[in-house]
Formats: sequence, C-alpha cells, structure tokens
Amino acid sequence: MVRSFPTRKLIHQSQLGVVDFESEDTWICATCRACVARCPRGVAIIDIMKALRSVVVGMGAGHVPDSLRVTLKNIAGTGNPLGEAAEKRTDWAKDLEVKTFTKGTEILYFSCCIPAYDPNIKRVARATASLLNKAGVSFGIIGARESCCGESVRKAGNESLFQTLAQSNISAFSENGVTKVVVSSPHCYHTFKNEYPELGSNIEVVHFTQYLAELIREGRLKPTRETNLKVTYHDPCYLGRHNSVYDEPREILRSIPGLDLVEMVDHRENSLCCGGGGSRIWQETKKGERLSDLRLDQAVATGASVLATACPYCMLNFEDSILTSDRSDVIKLKEISELVLEAL
Amino acid sequence: MARIGVFICHCGTNIAGTVDINGVVEAAKQMPMVVHAAENKYNCSEPGQALIRDAIVEHRLNRVVIAACSPRMHENTFRKTVAAAGLNPYLLEIANLREHCSWVHGDGKEAATIKAMELIRMAVAKVARHEQLFPKQVPLTKRALIIGGGISGIQAALDIANAGHKVVLVEREPTIGGRMAQLDKTFPTLDCSSCILTPKMVEVAQHPNITLLTSAEVKEVKGFVGNFEVSILQKTRKVDHTKCTGCGICWQKCPEKAPSEFDVGMGKRTSIYIPFPQAVPPKPVIDTSSCRYYKYLRFMEEKKEGKPPPQCRVCEKLCPVNAIDWEQKDEILTEKFGAIIVATGYKPFDPTIYSELGFGRHPDVITGLQLERMMSASGPASGEVTRPSTGEHPKDVVFLTCVGSRDEQRGRTYCSKVCCMYIAKHAIMLKEHDPEVQCYVFYMDVRTVSKDYEEFYKRAQESGTIYIRGKVSQIRQEDGKLIVRGEDTLLGEMVEIPADMVVLAIGMEHNPGAVELAQALKVSYDVNELFIEAHPKLRPVETMSDGVFVAGACVGPRDIPESVASGGAAAAKVAVLFSQDFLTTDPMVAVIDQMKCGGCLLCTKVCPFKAIDTQVLRDGRTVAVVNESLCKGCGLCVAACRFGAPNLRGFTQQQLLAEVTSLWQ
Amino acid sequence: MAVDFEPRIVGFLCNWCSYAGADMAGTARICYPSNIRIIRVPCSARIDPLLVVKAFQLGADGVLVAGCHPGDCHYTEGNYYSRRRFAMLHPFLEYLGIERERFWLQWVSASEGKKFSQVVSTFTDGLIKLGPRKAVTVQ
Repeated sequence: MVRSFPTRKLIHQSQLGVVDFESEDTWICATCRACVARCPRGVAIIDIMKALRSVVVGMGAGHVPDSLRVTLKNIAGTGNPLGEAAEKRTDWAKDLEVKTFTKGTEILYFSCCIPAYDPNIKRVARATASLLNKAGVSFGIIGARESCCGESVRKAGNESLFQTLAQSNISAFSENGVTKVVVSSPHCYHTFKNEYPELGSNIEVVHFTQYLAELIREGRLKPTRETNLKVTYHDPCYLGRHNSVYDEPREILRSIPGLDLVEMVDHRENSLCCGGGGSRIWQETKKGERLSDLRLDQAVATGASVLATACPYCMLNFEDSILTSDRSDVIKLKEISELVLEAL
Repeated sequence: MARIGVFICHCGTNIAGTVDINGVVEAAKQMPMVVHAAENKYNCSEPGQALIRDAIVEHRLNRVVIAACSPRMHENTFRKTVAAAGLNPYLLEIANLREHCSWVHGDGKEAATIKAMELIRMAVAKVARHEQLFPKQVPLTKRALIIGGGISGIQAALDIANAGHKVVLVEREPTIGGRMAQLDKTFPTLDCSSCILTPKMVEVAQHPNITLLTSAEVKEVKGFVGNFEVSILQKTRKVDHTKCTGCGICWQKCPEKAPSEFDVGMGKRTSIYIPFPQAVPPKPVIDTSSCRYYKYLRFMEEKKEGKPPPQCRVCEKLCPVNAIDWEQKDEILTEKFGAIIVATGYKPFDPTIYSELGFGRHPDVITGLQLERMMSASGPASGEVTRPSTGEHPKDVVFLTCVGSRDEQRGRTYCSKVCCMYIAKHAIMLKEHDPEVQCYVFYMDVRTVSKDYEEFYKRAQESGTIYIRGKVSQIRQEDGKLIVRGEDTLLGEMVEIPADMVVLAIGMEHNPGAVELAQALKVSYDVNELFIEAHPKLRPVETMSDGVFVAGACVGPRDIPESVASGGAAAAKVAVLFSQDFLTTDPMVAVIDQMKCGGCLLCTKVCPFKAIDTQVLRDGRTVAVVNESLCKGCGLCVAACRFGAPNLRGFTQQQLLAEVTSLWQ
Repeated sequence: MAVDFEPRIVGFLCNWCSYAGADMAGTARICYPSNIRIIRVPCSARIDPLLVVKAFQLGADGVLVAGCHPGDCHYTEGNYYSRRRFAMLHPFLEYLGIERERFWLQWVSASEGKKFSQVVSTFTDGLIKLGPRKAVTVQ
C-alpha cells in the first residue's frame, strides 16, 4: 500500500459543507476510475472530486499544489504544460517527412504535448509518425495552432481554462477541415471523444493503438522481424477502464512474431494506475507513495524484459520509477509504436 | 321502438339541493322516446327500487335511465333492479348527476340544472341504442399445469391435488426438488433441508392426482383461461422409465464421470445418473455428452482418424429389465389445462464478472451454494468443509455479501434477500463444525426482515463472526493464503485479511428461458427478466394473463417460507377458479363485423391481450375475430381499425356518437 | 368577444382513472365550471379521433380527453396508443382551423380530483379567452 485517502470522508464533508480547503487529500485522486467501476451505488466519484477541486480553484482560496499551479499557468500562457513556445510544437518531426495538415488530408495526428516537447518521450511521436508514413497513410499535423487537450486541466478543477482550450482546439480542427484524428494519448482520446462533443465537436477520434491494429489487420503494416522479447503490457486507465480499449494493444503485440506477451497480476479491468491521471502527473508525488513503483514491481515480477504501454503520462511515470529504483538493466520501457517500428 | 323511462334521484339534498328536480323531470318527459319520467327520494333504497320495477312493468319500459350518482357507485345495483323487472340488465344507462354535477356546481343552481338535463339527454340518446347483452358461459378444464418442480411448484401441486383436481407438474431437470434440494440446512431454524423437502417430493410422486413430467419443458401455450392447450417437450432420457425400477446398478457400474450439476462442480457423477440419492423420480437419465457410447457414436459419425473409443454400453448389459433405450427420441405432448402456475424459480448469479474477486482463478474462492454442497452430509464431501486447493480445513473464512445484488455497475440493482441470512447460517455452522474457525463478513447492510431473522444474525455475531462494513476491492494469493483487501468504511481504513477460503454470497437471478416462457404465456416481465404479478400488493400471485399464476422466486428473490406461501396462494386461486363448472365472461367486449373487416389484422397487433385471432372464411378471406374469453373490453381495436369493423358492446361507435350529437339537439 | 360567452366542452374520460378522478372531485366538493359534458369510455384508447372531430363539427368549443397516467393504464398500454393518436390529430385539427388550445389530452388518475377540477377550470378559462370557435364548413 502506498497511501490511502478517504474519498468517502471528502464526499460526506462536501455534503455537509465543511470542506477543508487546505487539505492535501483533495488533490490525491488520480481518476483511475477503479472506484467508479466498483461502486455498487453508481456514485460518480471522479466527477465529485473534479467538482470539489473546481470549488477550491474557483474560490481562489485554499491550497492548490504549487507544481500544479505552475503547470496551469504554463498551459494558460503557452498552450502546453511545459511552458515551451508554441512554434516549437512540431520540432519533433523536423527530420521526418511529416506533412502539415491541409484540406483533403485524411487524418490529423494529434501527438499530445508530452511527446511533442519532452526530450525523452519525443520518440513516441516519432515512432508513430514513422509507422503512419510506412503504411502510406494520408496524415498531417497542425502544429502551433493546436494546444493542450485540457483533459487534466478539467480534472484539476479549472473548468474555464478547459473551455478555452477545448474551444481553441475545436475551431482549429474545423478551420482546417479535420474529420478524423488519431491521438497518442488516451487522455486526449478521452476528452476528444467524450467531452468535446458537449461543446459541438463531431470529429471521429481514434487512439493510435486502435488505428495500428486496423493497419496490421488490413496488411498495410507487417511486423515481420522475429524477436525473442518477453513483454508485459500496462493498461492505461484512460484507455482501459475509461474507454474499454483492452484488446487492440494486445492484438498488436501478439502480431509481432516471437513476442511473448505476459500479463501482470492485475490487468485489464483490474489494472493498477501509474498515478498520472487527474492532473497528478503535474504534481510531485513523494517517493514511497508512487503508484508507478508498485506497478513496476508487478511488471518485473512477470519476468518480462519490456514494459509496454500506450500513454505518454504512463511513460513519464514509469521512466521515473525505473530510474529511481535503478532497474534500467532489468526492464525497458517501450511504447507500443516503438515495438512495432522495431519489428518492421 | 324504444320505450324509455327516466328516474331522477334526489339523493336527499345531495342532488335536489342544487338541481331543480321538477324542471329536470319535465324536460326529460320531452326527450325523444321517453315515455315515463319520475323523481325519487332515493333511487337506490328498496322502496325506490320497487318504484322503478313497478314503473317498468306499468309503462312497458324497455330501456331505463337512472339519473343519480356515479355509475361506478351503483351501476350493478340498478342492473339487478331492472333484471328483477324482467329487463335485460344491460338495457340501463346512468346519468351522473351527483359527482359530476350537483356536487361540483353547488355555486350555480341554474347552470347545474341545465347540465343535469343535458346529462340525461346524453344518457337517453345512448340507452336508446343499447342492445341486450348476455354473459357467455365457457366450459372449463379442471386440470392444472405447474411449471417448475421446486418447493413452490411442489407446494402448489400438492395443494391443488389435495383439493381434488388433476395436476401435471413439469420440471426441466431430471428430478424435482429444485434449489432447496441443494441446501444443507435452512435458516433461521437450522432444519435439515432435505429432511423437510424429500417427504414432500415423495408425496408428489405418489399422489394419484399428480402426473410428474421430469426432463420436460413447456414449448407452446395456446388458448385462454379454462382452456389452455400446452405443448410440452419430453426430452429423451435414453432410459425407459416405464420399465426402470431404479435399482441403481447402472449408475453404480458406469465407468465415465462428469462434473455434477447438482453439486455445482464440487463433485462428480456418472454418465448415467440420478442427480442425488433422494431424487424423484429415482430413475436415471443418460447424459449423452459424456457417455462413452455416445462419444463412440459421434466418433463414427464424424469419420475421424484413428482408433475409435470403446463402445462401453455397460449399463445396457447390466440392466436387469432392459430399460436402456438408445433409440428413445424427444417427444412433444399436447395437453389441455384450465390454469397454469409458473414456478420456475431462480438461477444463482455467476460471479465470474467480478474479476477482482478472482472466482474461477483462485480455487479457494467459492460461492455460497458450493459451500452448501460441501457442508451437506449427503454431499460430495460428506459434510467436511475443506480448502479446494489443499484439502486442509480452513481456519479463516471471509464472506462477501452482495455479489450480484444491489450493484448498479453490474446491472443487478435489486437485493437478493436471502444472502445476509445464509451467510449468518454458514458462519454459525462453520463455527459448529470447527470451533477454531474465524469468520469475517464484508457487508453493505445486513437485512434481516422476517420472524427470528434478526435474532439469528445476532447469534452469528455472538458466535464470534466479525462483521466489517465495506466492499472488497481485491483478492490476491500470497504464501498459500488469499489476501482479502477491502475498506472498513466505519473506520475509514483499508483492511487486509489473510484467508484460507473466501465465500461469495451470490444473489439470485432469472432462470435462462424465462423470457421465452413469459412470451408464450403472455405474462409480462421486467428489466431483470423476472415475471410481473398483476398487482404487487393486492394480486401477488396472479398475472395480467387470466388463468396464469406465478409463485416462488421467478417473480423476485424469495426465501423458502415465501416460496411455499406463494405456491399455496397460487394453488388457492386455482382452486377458486376450478370451483366453477363454467366461466362467465363479461359481454361488454369487442366484436368484429366480418363484412367490414379488410383483413389488415392491425387489431391483432395492437390488442394488449392478444385477444384477436384470425379466421379464414369460406370465400378465402382472412378476417379478424375476437376471442371473447380473452377480450377485456378496452376498445383499443375499435379506434385502431381503418375499416370500422370492430365495435365495443356497451360503448359502440353509434352510442358514443349519439351522446355527442344529443348535445346539439 | 361576448363577456358572457359560455364555451361548450365535451370531455371523454377513461373509466378507470379520469372518470374516477372526476368522481373524486365530486366527493371532495371541488367546484369547477359547469361547461363540460362528460362521456364515459372504458379506456382513452377507445376514443376514435372521429368522435373528437365530430364534436367540433357539431359546434364544440373544446374537447378534453383524459386517461390514466402513462404506465398506469388499466389495460396496460392503451394510453400509449392514445398519446400517439392524439399527437397525430393535433396538426389535422389545425389544418381544419381549430386552434391547438381547443383540444387537450390530459392524464388524471383516480386520486387526482383536485387536478381534474384544475384541468377543467384552466381549459374553460382558456376557451373563454379564445372566444367562440369559427364555424367549420363541411361540404
């Protein structure tokens, strides 16, 4: 166990109107959705946590963790959580042949801010784009006009910033005539698919694992290079529990010849969270309280040499966990698109 | 020519206080076809009724209008009055001068009087178009069909049979007894379940009025109350039960084993088998999926490569009366019944969808019913409770409630009613078996809603069982133990209990095939595929389909006393029905003019009671025809028909039009 | 518009709920305008739209149809049929020049005597405001 926080107490306090604005507990929930999936009474616990946070944020009083405050400021100012310049958003694609999205392009590839800017995770966007190129897909990127999807901003209780971001993205999509978008992040996927429609968006949203599985099924991509890797797959909460995408990532991994896919103790519906959802990714989690450390233990216990996943936040958290627990020689972290690219 | 009499009631001052009775009488006398109009202090009093009867005779009236209180009050009273004077009781119409006029227009005498006159004028216009109606008498088959041979169906069968009527009891499984036969002890008295059940099963088998059809299913139901025609599928048993004596040599010698359905996988049975030693009938069936001979036959049929499996046929060789019949086929029996009782019971919830609880993954996670079979002295473990993984006696046992009950996420919103109590029973029994056992119960609420139940729960607590309020989120295996992790919501803390065994208190759900049966019987069912009674409080064993009754857990979770009570109640309803020699039907039903019917049969689709059949006339035209026994007289078909073929007796199109038209005459 | 205009209203009430509801209004002595003339039918689904049109043709200023609340029908589903039938009738009446406000479909249960009187009062007041109906020319 890493730590507990009393959801029931928070909800009950809110009912009674005695919310402790200074409490750290308000910010612990990683919105992994395990509680909602289990709650027999159908309580929308995540929505309540979100509402609670928006009250704390909206009042201007109370404790908002510092790192989160900085991130939100970055997003409000530059459109990305890292505070980088918008013009640099397409830098990851510089030496790759990635076209700018124009009218008539079939698919928009929306990389998410982290693969766009984070020096380590850029490889995810690069691998995905390379795969799309190899399959001959008509796709493009928008670049500076796009901003953070706002999923975790909303979960952090900053509804107005979310609305601004969403409106900006929706108009960027519609100005460019986007009808279908492929995303790298399950968080972008979730908000584009389930939350943007409230604001008038009607584009088709596909997670890249779904798209990749389709490309492989159709034979447009053929992983042929034999490998002897033992791989375990971590279900990102926002892909699995939130959107029930469990099979496609596994289908892709199994299509790689020689790859041995093993499951961790908790998988699919019961998967553990990496701890990065619900804006936790922008907050500091003390060592000893990190869910990703627990999850890494489970992954190592399977005897796998590669931990595969399909979410930039999970990537960030597991990179940290592997480094801080000094296990980089035991297990490698790979995004699914990287594994497929290596197998071509 | 109609000769109409109008009788206007004062109702003391209730009507007369507001309405000018004399004025109304004079106005009524001027209405068409009215030959007599009179006032009366109280129409409904005996002298008042005598006055009406006398006037009918004296003025040779052939239609009567009573202007008094609501027809919902006294229509039947006055029907009897006119019938006593020799008139057909349906040649009567009531004008509602009290509830719809004097009582609500007390503030305007003049307007109320005008309204009273118009109400009478409408009634006069309508009654002139009344026809004589005669209730029909339909013969009745005094023979009941009971679907389901659990405790509820057994009770119903015995009660009806003891009332002197013939009963056919149809059971899907090879034996009657149902779920109760699987139980070890029953709460809160800890009576041995089979000790109280098996005598009843034997009574059913021996009762001269009861025909028992096991391994049989109801396939089709035609007809209506008093006259159902039911097709019953008698599945092949491959054993001729007319020859079989139940000596048991076949199932003792059968070399093939398969998991026992009756023991929910906790034990094995042979391929030719009786489900349990006290089965009724005590005669075996052959399970063709596991039988060696059938495996051989399938092998030969599919022309597989290699050596065929042995032909076996040991049972056939050993049977002293040659009862094994490999050629026996499924059979359809068609029988007539006057009433049907549905007592199809429930199925235990399958907990595999609770993947976090690891049922099916960890062998030591079992269901309450499995523990029940283990505990049963006549069960596969001879009453010894052991961990399935190691065979050791468990010391720490964790019970989880509401698995498949009260859970919106898993689509089972209702409480299964019995689980809290059977957990208490298990905890008490385990402690009795082995005083070193420690039981823990994770619960949401403990519901103890019948006599002696709360005391029984207290007894479980006092025996040392620890009740923890909260749900379990994870069960994992560690060092040969199951670590049960959950929240104690009263402490607000996570707790982990290392357990030897975890018992899931699974709830009840509808039996497979419930919907198909409900559709065949025209009985409605809810989102949980449970049958719906005609009224949840006042008509709990009847259904909206006349002559079809429901009993036991097919209506919703019920414990044994409730199932027995509802079985008895349904039997009483059947006995009441069978106390008549004929069924009298209400004549105010729809009738279809076959000359007008265009044969579109839209009416058959909209009729809520499926009371409209089709008929092919001699000229080849297909027309709709009302089954008067099923029609409830709603008139939905009348307004639905584009040809104007149906009409509703007592509320005909002509009558309603006359009422409307009379307002402007 | 004449001040003393008294609209003529025909009410078709189902026997099990609305007619009993009107009885209830009586038992409770709740006064309402006397303009309505009630015709009892077994179920609101028995009411042929033709009867409604006939009433208007003869000169009714308003027609009220009342039945059991959805889900409460004595015949389980009759009122669902009425609901759809009369939804279809509205545009037809408008085509005939009969205002939407002149034809009401209401759900009144056997215990809603008060609601019945309110329905009749509101309906009658509305018709008084609307004034006499223009005659429908029937050819």
